[in-house]
Parts: sequence; structure tokens; C-alpha cells
Amino acid sequence: MLYNIHFSIDVDVAMPVEDKSKSLLPFLSSPKLLPDESEAEFQSGLKSLLSELDNPSPLAVALVSQLNESLWWIKRHTVDKELLLHEAMARLLSKAGSYTETYDNRKVSKALERYLDGRADKDEAEWIDEILTESKLTLPDLRIRAFKDAAKHIKMVDDLIHRQHQTMRHLQRSIDSIDYKSRLIKRMDLELAALESKQSVKGVLSLDAKPS
Amino acid sequence: MTLSHRRSLANRCNALKSTGPRSVVGKRASSQNSRKHGLNSAPDFESSSEYRALVDLIAEEGFSAFACADIASGLLNYRRVMDAYYATYTGPEPVNKFMRDMSVKASIPIFRELLSPSGSEPQDVREMAAFFASMQRQEQRKGGPVSRRSADAHKLIRYQRNGIARLSRAVRQD
Repeated sequence: MLYNIHFSIDVDVAMPVEDKSKSLLPFLSSPKLLPDESEAEFQSGLKSLLSELDNPSPLAVALVSQLNESLWWIKRHTVDKELLLHEAMARLLSKAGSYTETYDNRKVSKALERYLDGRADKDEAEWIDEILTESKLTLPDLRIRAFKDAAKHIKMVDDLIHRQHQTMRHLQRSIDSIDYKSRLIKRMDLELAALESKQSVKGVLSLDAKPS
Repeated sequence: MTLSHRRSLANRCNALKSTGPRSVVGKRASSQNSRKHGLNSAPDFESSSEYRALVDLIAEEGFSAFACADIASGLLNYRRVMDAYYATYTGPEPVNKFMRDMSVKASIPIFRELLSPSGSEPQDVREMAAFFASMQRQEQRKGGPVSRRSADAHKLIRYQRNGIARLSRAVRQD
């Protein structure tokens, strides 16, 4: 089962922030992965996002880390949509014919999942075919009925995915604003330095021009 | 009907007669029963060491003191919401198999035995059967684990929306 077991990931690995002691991430709780998820994949996504930062300030890195988590949630919820369909399909199959005793559809669900992936052994495939025949359904029919049954929950998952997209938009705007701010500060620093150098040149020239 | 099924039904019937906690400790404990994720309680970020460290680090990026405070609390608040989101997603309400799979019709003789041994109060028995049937419908409507975790996570959408809006406002205010 996927639930109740988790581990936190070390998001501080290979950050392109020059000084790691200035990172905000140690003071924030880190995103957590489910046991069957790949930490390496999560980290590589984070690294590729960080590599796109022009100016990896600690705040920008912290925001990019949140952005990566949002992307990860979108992946999870997309998988959930398919799982919801499987759950509904298994429920329909379990209710069919003489299989009411397996209403706890775990057995049917596992067999169906393997059947749909093409990984089912001969017995399982025969069993699923038998239930389908008994319930007078084909696989596409079953899928359509399951979609109808699970529509409410699929809509919920769509809302969750939409929320993550909105979150990413907010984060992207914040990162852009930080980037713009740092560019502005750099530009002002350069202009100030140019003015100062001009002033000093003028000062030298005026000193030179003074009659002795 | 198995003995354990009979025992479970008897326990549930007796539980319905309960009048709730009586001691102060019991009342205090039960006052937290409806607490789901704690996101409605006001957090006190300002007194935490993480908040102070974040404010100091953000100040080095040229933000004003007010903006630093807002960004730090915005970040901590957003993480609090996302942690609750993860906890809700990974710990959905478990499926009550007993309630979902029980046969209400087959349980009526037990209700009768428990509620009116003399057989003089069939109304109570009917009410009890109707109550269990409605509980069963509720349980079946909630679906399996994936449906449950989606529905539970869906309830946290507004906290996420508020959390990220607060953080984004704080970062862009200067």
C-alpha cells in the first residue's frame, strides 16, 4: 500500500546557490515522497528547474523547490485519475454475477490492473474474462460505465490538478519578480559605479585644471 | 450469523445509547474529535527560530523589513498547508468493511433480540435497521481508498489557494 509510510528528501543536494549556508530550505519542511516514487527523478526535476534560474538567490531557490513539488503533485493526481477508473471498474466487476463476496475489490482490482497492463497470468486473464462475460460487458463498455460512476471523483482530481497549475503560475510570477528586482539592483549598482567613476575623473580633471 | 458479527452489532447498538464524555479530561479529548488538519487555527510563526532565520536571510536580498516578515510567514504558512495536504492525501479515512458489507436484512433478528427481547417494540427495530442502512449507503458512496483520498485532498484546495496567494503577494509587494 502507498499510505502512511513516507520519507523526506534532501532537497539541498547540488543546489546552484553559491553559499549553501544562505539557503532558506533548511528552515522549511521539505516535500515528501511516497514509498514507490523515485527520489532520483524528483531531484533531477528540481535540478533542471534550478539550472534555468538566471540568478539563483536563496528565495528563488526556495520558490523553485515549491514549484517542483507542484509539478510532482500534478503527476500524482494524473495517476490517481486512472486509479479511480480502475477502482470503479473493479467495483462494477465485483458486483457482477456471483462475485458479490469479493465486493472488497482488492483481489479483482489487482487482477484487473495486471490484465489492463498486459501482465496478467493465464488464470487471472481467464478469471477477468469470465466475470466480464457473466456481467455481459466488454472492456470498453466497462470503462465507460466506470467513468460514469467515478465522474464525481475524477472531477475532484481535475480540480486538484487545476489548483496546482494555479499555484505554479503564482510561483512563476514571484520568481520573475525576484529576478527582475535583482536585475534592477544590479543595474542601479552599475549606474552608481559609472557615476562615481565619472565623478572621480571629473574631480581629477578639475584638480589638474586649477592654476598653481 | 457469526458470533463476532453479533458482538459487533451489539457494540454498535450500545454505543448509540452513549451520552458522551462526562469527565473534564474526556470532554477535552472529545473536543478535538473533529480536528482534521489544524489549518483553521492561527499559527504563531513569529516566535519560531525558523521565522527569524528566514527573515534574516531574505533581508540580505534587499527586501524591506515588512516584506521580509511577510515573505517568511508566507513561506512557513505555505509549507504548513502542503504538509497537511500530504498528510491528508496519505492518510485517507479507512474503508469500514463491516459497515459496507453487512447485510441489514440479515441483521434485523439481532436488532430485535437486542432492542426488544419481548418483541413489543418493532418501531425501534425498524429505526435501527433504517439507521444502519443509511450508514451503509454513506459508506458505499465514499468509494475506495483513491476516491477517499481525492475527496479529502479536495477539501484543502481553499487553504492552498489562500496560502500561495499570500506568499505571492508578499514576494511581489516591493
